[in-house]
Amino acid sequence: MNGVDNELIKKIPGAPVIMTSVEWAINASRANSLWTVTFGLRCCAIEMMHTGGTKTDWSRFGFEVPAASPRRADVMVVAGTVSKKMAPVVKRLYEQMPGPKYVMAMGACAISGGPFIYDSYSVVMGVDKLIPVDVYIPGCPPRPEALIDGFIKLQKKIMAQKIRK
Amino acid sequence: MTVRELLEKIKQKAEIEDSKEDLGVLNAYVKPSSLRSLLIYMRDSLGFDWMSFMTALDMPQENTIEAVYELFSNSSKDSARIKVKLSRQAAEVETVSDIYRTAEWHEREAAEMFGITFKNHPHPENLILTPDIKAPLRKDFSGGDMKRMPE
Repeated sequence: MNGVDNELIKKIPGAPVIMTSVEWAINASRANSLWTVTFGLRCCAIEMMHTGGTKTDWSRFGFEVPAASPRRADVMVVAGTVSKKMAPVVKRLYEQMPGPKYVMAMGACAISGGPFIYDSYSVVMGVDKLIPVDVYIPGCPPRPEALIDGFIKLQKKIMAQKIRK
Repeated sequence: MTVRELLEKIKQKAEIEDSKEDLGVLNAYVKPSSLRSLLIYMRDSLGFDWMSFMTALDMPQENTIEAVYELFSNSSKDSARIKVKLSRQAAEVETVSDIYRTAEWHEREAAEMFGITFKNHPHPENLILTPDIKAPLRKDFSGGDMKRMPE
């Protein structure tokens, strides 16, 4: 499995049983079934669709399904410029997602406002002004490889979570 | 119809403050009071049955806002550009949305972007912007977290 230390799984010879820690099992389940809210706002959305397409198929790595509803999604990919009119919608959909939830800021606009940073009356200067962001993916727009790299970084982050605080 | 012929025709119907020819298209500045009667005359008698767009220009040096009405004739393929000069402090003009339906949304956009009041407009609320952003396309706009481009 992706990003998994093999020493964590112990097979018992002669029996259909493996032993591992609860922490690892929960984290691995979370990291390998990330359903996405594909928040395609502008041109980054095209690269995101491409990433989900056949050529660079993202379900190879366990981020399977673009969820039709934020209520059954785990990760929100904010792909594109967040305008001030869209800001309440982004916030509301984030609040509808069940925890644990993760956010990826895809592209220069979602990170910082990008080319709209000066002389713009309508653009939110980075989606992290609204909601907490886990992974930033630079690019204008990022290539599909970069998006997949961001997803794998997010999986590594999830695998490092601890159950005990 | 040449630009000169068109100008002679509309001069009889409206007060033309200034006019010029720009790339074969007549640019005529009219008094705001005679705008509506001129557009009705051009639609009904000169065949300008189509309004391509209506927009505005901010001119802070002259302290004016220009409302621009671009007309087109489907029969003779002529274009004409009618402009109205308004003061920046009290930009107010009669709506033409009952003459050309195109103008309804375009006037709403010009109203929210340039702070122009269109009198007797059927739907005077904002078209796109949220109500807290006022007249962002004016040159001296500054609001909220907007950063100016460094010189």
